[in-house]
Amino acid sequence: MRPENYPSVSQPPSNEFELFYGPNHPGIEGNYALKVRVHGDEVTSARADGGYLHRGFEKLMEGRLWIQNIALVPRICVPDPVPMEVCYSLAVEELGGIEVPLRAQWIRVMQLELSRIAAHLFFFGGHAATTGMYTPMFWGITDRDLILDLFEELSGGRVYHIYNIPGGVRRDLPPGYLERVSKTLDYLESRLPDYDNLLFTNKVFVHRATGIGAMTQEQALDWGVTGPNLRATGLAFDVRRDDPYLVYDQLDFDIPVEAAGDAWARSLVRRSELKESLRILRQVVAKLPHIDGAIRAPIPNPLAWNLPAGDVYTRVESSKGELAYYVVSNGGDKPYRVHVRGPSAMHAVQVLEHLATGARIEDVAQIMFSLDACPPEVDR
Amino acid sequence: MKLTTATPNNVSASLEFLLQEIPGLRTKWAGPRRLRVDLSAETLPALLALLKGRAGYVHLSAISCVDWPEQSEFELVYHLWSYELNVLVKAHIRIPRDPGVYLSVYDLYHPAAFFERDIHEMFGLYFEGSPDMGKFILTEWDGPPPMRKEFDSEAWVMNQFEWQDYRPDWLAEIEARGGGITTRPQDIRKDGKP
Repeated sequence: MRPENYPSVSQPPSNEFELFYGPNHPGIEGNYALKVRVHGDEVTSARADGGYLHRGFEKLMEGRLWIQNIALVPRICVPDPVPMEVCYSLAVEELGGIEVPLRAQWIRVMQLELSRIAAHLFFFGGHAATTGMYTPMFWGITDRDLILDLFEELSGGRVYHIYNIPGGVRRDLPPGYLERVSKTLDYLESRLPDYDNLLFTNKVFVHRATGIGAMTQEQALDWGVTGPNLRATGLAFDVRRDDPYLVYDQLDFDIPVEAAGDAWARSLVRRSELKESLRILRQVVAKLPHIDGAIRAPIPNPLAWNLPAGDVYTRVESSKGELAYYVVSNGGDKPYRVHVRGPSAMHAVQVLEHLATGARIEDVAQIMFSLDACPPEVDR
Repeated sequence: MKLTTATPNNVSASLEFLLQEIPGLRTKWAGPRRLRVDLSAETLPALLALLKGRAGYVHLSAISCVDWPEQSEFELVYHLWSYELNVLVKAHIRIPRDPGVYLSVYDLYHPAAFFERDIHEMFGLYFEGSPDMGKFILTEWDGPPPMRKEFDSEAWVMNQFEWQDYRPDWLAEIEARGGGITTRPQDIRKDGKP
């Protein structure tokens, strides 16, 4: 960080100040900053400032083998890494014409939904914390840990699993794993009324979140908003249903929608999605024992694996919104180009700038968190 | 003509019918919901206006840039999604690498602002009419655009940094006592087995 890039602002005496909001703990899941101008308590303009987590993943991937990149991709979004692995794997599989065995597809869905629950638990804890309530944060993180335990048992890693690889998944489920998943689901389901009592029917939280950072559906579409943030404006769109991948077309689930488009609506959508993910997981747990077969399609020697030339755009629904990978192969053993389209690239930049402008300074952190943006997705 | 029905066959047929209005397009279905369109850079704005105005393509999912130095070209790919048709259109255009200037589509799609700024920063491609071509991620970078193929990250690192052995005194002291990173796993295990 060079000081000359952050010059002090001299201005005539006024009530306006320029504040640097971030890059540490600005109310977002990573290092990110917002330069805001405030007049009294009101934000008159806001500019997003990214790059604190830039590690050049897209460039690094061009220098690594197709299979090696699977160790890089989950790091692009820390709180919700599974969609990254799956989306990249789907792209490689489509390029290589590999058909993933059915059992692996179901296991992937289980991983994706567990990851979504973990990310949503993280989200509502963080959202509550930006309004000054820290108990939901502790509860959310504690319950998220139960899911990380399941990840650890399966893959050895709590945060980065590197479990979904091109062709399928790395290992089959250990004995008794589904019973333990089921037990965790029972526990999480029993916690939903507690979350409601603590947060979602809490008058302080409802009052603080209502009307904050509101956008209309028209604005949301104009700004490229996707995922739960878009559904909070009343548009029932979900990549899982409308552009299905894996076995989502065989699963029964609803798409929760809210109308208000504010922080409160975004919070409610995610709370309903917790329930829907639990519902999907119940179906997966019931179905998986009846699906036998391989967990991985045979792939060529990964150290000398040339994928046919071509390009592919794969999309999945991550907990933040529409996640997509554009992968180009020139027939070599490494990707020619990988472009990661993270949902936060929209939410954390122009949407945040629009919503923060005109807000009160104490609501800025809440607006940031209610969009559930993931800064490493922006920086890549 | 407004397309609102959503059964796969008539969607693909009516989408192709609509695209006939623009001459010189090459279309190819890459899957049931994936349509690839290759066209010249001059006709892209007309295609986007047509898709947005008449087929409900309100969502610009991404703009991707691919560098092809051998052909001395940049490939720009516009990924568009229609919430009504549920079909993804990938519009591919090629523009010369030098001077590397193209038109912004910000007027039609506001998300383009982020992608164009990102491509400008990473590939050095300039978009005329884009609201902000300032730096965003690489604030402290004044070298060449790093995502261009001729930029070799490893060579840059080798030139930029001096390599040195990491042998601090405190580590030497620990090693002299038989500890530190020189301890092999079999030495610290009681049974002596590796």
